[in-house]
Amino acid sequence: MSHKHLVAWPRHALIHTMPWLIAGLGFVLLVTLMLAVSVGTIGIPLHAVWGIIANHLVPGFVPVDWSPGRDSIVWEVRLPRAILGAMVGASLALVGAALQAVTRNPLADPHLLGISSGAALGAIVVLLHTGMFLGLITVPLFAFGGALLSTAIVTGVANLALATNASRLVLTGVAVSFIVTSLGSLGIFLGDPRAAHTVIFWMLGGLGLAQWAQLPFPLLALLGCGAYLMANARNLNAMTLGDESATTLGLPVARFRLLIFIVCALLTGAAVAFAGIISFVGLMIPHIVRMVIGGDYRRVLPLSALLGAIFLVMADIVARTIMPPQDLPVGIITGLVGGAFFILLLRRNGRIG
Amino acid sequence: MRQLPMLASIFAMMAGSALASGFPVTVKSCNRDVTFDAAPSRAVSNDVNLTEMMLVLGLADSMVGYTGVSGWKTLDEKLRQGVAELPELSPDYPTKEVLLGADADFYFAGWNYGMKLGGEVTPETLEPFDIAVYELAESCIHIMAKPKASMDDLYVDLLNLGRIFGVEEKAVALVDGYKTELAAFTARLDVTDKPKVFVYDSGEDKPFTAGRYAIPTAMIEAAGGTNIMDDVESSWVEVGWEPVIERNPDVIVIVDYGSVSAAQKADFMRHNPAFKDIPAIKNNRFVVLPYVVATPGPRNIEGIKTLTAAFHPS
Repeated sequence: MSHKHLVAWPRHALIHTMPWLIAGLGFVLLVTLMLAVSVGTIGIPLHAVWGIIANHLVPGFVPVDWSPGRDSIVWEVRLPRAILGAMVGASLALVGAALQAVTRNPLADPHLLGISSGAALGAIVVLLHTGMFLGLITVPLFAFGGALLSTAIVTGVANLALATNASRLVLTGVAVSFIVTSLGSLGIFLGDPRAAHTVIFWMLGGLGLAQWAQLPFPLLALLGCGAYLMANARNLNAMTLGDESATTLGLPVARFRLLIFIVCALLTGAAVAFAGIISFVGLMIPHIVRMVIGGDYRRVLPLSALLGAIFLVMADIVARTIMPPQDLPVGIITGLVGGAFFILLLRRNGRIG
Repeated sequence: MRQLPMLASIFAMMAGSALASGFPVTVKSCNRDVTFDAAPSRAVSNDVNLTEMMLVLGLADSMVGYTGVSGWKTLDEKLRQGVAELPELSPDYPTKEVLLGADADFYFAGWNYGMKLGGEVTPETLEPFDIAVYELAESCIHIMAKPKASMDDLYVDLLNLGRIFGVEEKAVALVDGYKTELAAFTARLDVTDKPKVFVYDSGEDKPFTAGRYAIPTAMIEAAGGTNIMDDVESSWVEVGWEPVIERNPDVIVIVDYGSVSAAQKADFMRHNPAFKDIPAIKNNRFVVLPYVVATPGPRNIEGIKTLTAAFHPS
């Protein structure tokens, strides 16, 4: 029996060509990554860029006619940065999609529920008070720890206050977020004021600290948590129907919601630890995907991940090339684009809010 | 057998020249020991005062550029001539890509003078690219404990740069010259009358000033005054207006740079009714020091002379 009359033609066509859609977006991501590696403050001719990459993959493949400085720029600065951007973009978009399903709140995003304020608090403690006593891994470690602490507090309070239903969980998260943010502000106030701008730059988000040695961590988080979320796509669909309907479908709603929240916190913590607080990716990308493909999370999740990756890598390209030789914090670009996009969204789609 | 004395003398000459050049050289940069096997040839310095330290030692030929100037400061005539041949690689703090793009092998900067704690460009992040970093002594307070600011911070930086670039004799001569000049100066000072001084960098709702570990404190003391904020355990720091009013400074030193002019800063203080009883405002005792004079650099001695003239007008 045909279901074509239930779904508008363009969406129907897209739904049935999912594999092509994924392959297509995957290809776009690849092209975007190639672009990210090729452009930047220092103009490096394309043949040199590709020669450098080829030589790192197959030593001695291409005769070297560039300086070691340029080799480092392409392989040690731009490439890890592009890859980190893709991973963080995918992570934030996945988290946004999952949280929007589980809280049934279209404004839910990775930074809403106190996770990112906890990470910011960790970073503030390191940058303004303890210093980098563990070397380069200090800030990411403390940021991740702060995110986990904040998550633990929200989960604990939600359990204690019996606030595990959708809107009460959001409110708990917002309340804890306010408290943790204030503690962070206290940390800034008590720290060296001349260094406060360091923290501000961290909080605005940026991919400049990317290095190969640190990439396995966000990758592991993305693969692990991403796999868990995609495996639970049908359950996320059930959650969007409402707590009662989900319960009648056999889902332990309160527990599942908290579990998803914790998995999202892990993924957000890993992303924020290495890239700071990048706004709007988690909020906006799932909305765009749902506008095109509908609300089935079996499709929304993988497409959000891919689109999130593409968007953040592109935003980073703009951040690096719009005011050369300076590097704008990428959170500024995502915020501006995201905000403008959101206004357009509100105009087009009266069903939101 | 006749070759032996000749060989011996050749070896002696080679050894002698190695000793004379002093390499390999190890210097202490904040809490790190940095070893140089040869003088850097592609150095980058950040900010006006650090760039001027490189120029005063005649190191322009070892540099490939400078950073962090036109973003918020202007080069005066003397500096502009000194760096005429060198490109400004970045108007603000450089990114890794900028330094690598210049194929730099040495970066002279400080904490909040070109590097941010936990930021993209730090000695640790530049090390894998063989870019050695020497940190400005005054700024070490941001990452470790350090004694109160003194002119020794400047001398140590110049001597270390001299050792790093193999121009130690020049550096020693320069520093000795400064010390002699300063000693001659302070000998003529009347130590009984020490005016209280407030350093006003910027800020309207809260002033940004120089605390215990910032070089103006040392300069003011060398000029026979005391910095009212020298008990603030910090380098350059934001304080409140109340302690300023309470401590009644006799002279106000304005640090001149950026879009707000020194005249505007002085006017702000003159027109605020809360400050009307401060002796410095009542007697209109303001001194202006350009940024490059008020931060560690070769012009500090000239700055001390300006301050002395202002503190002891007789």
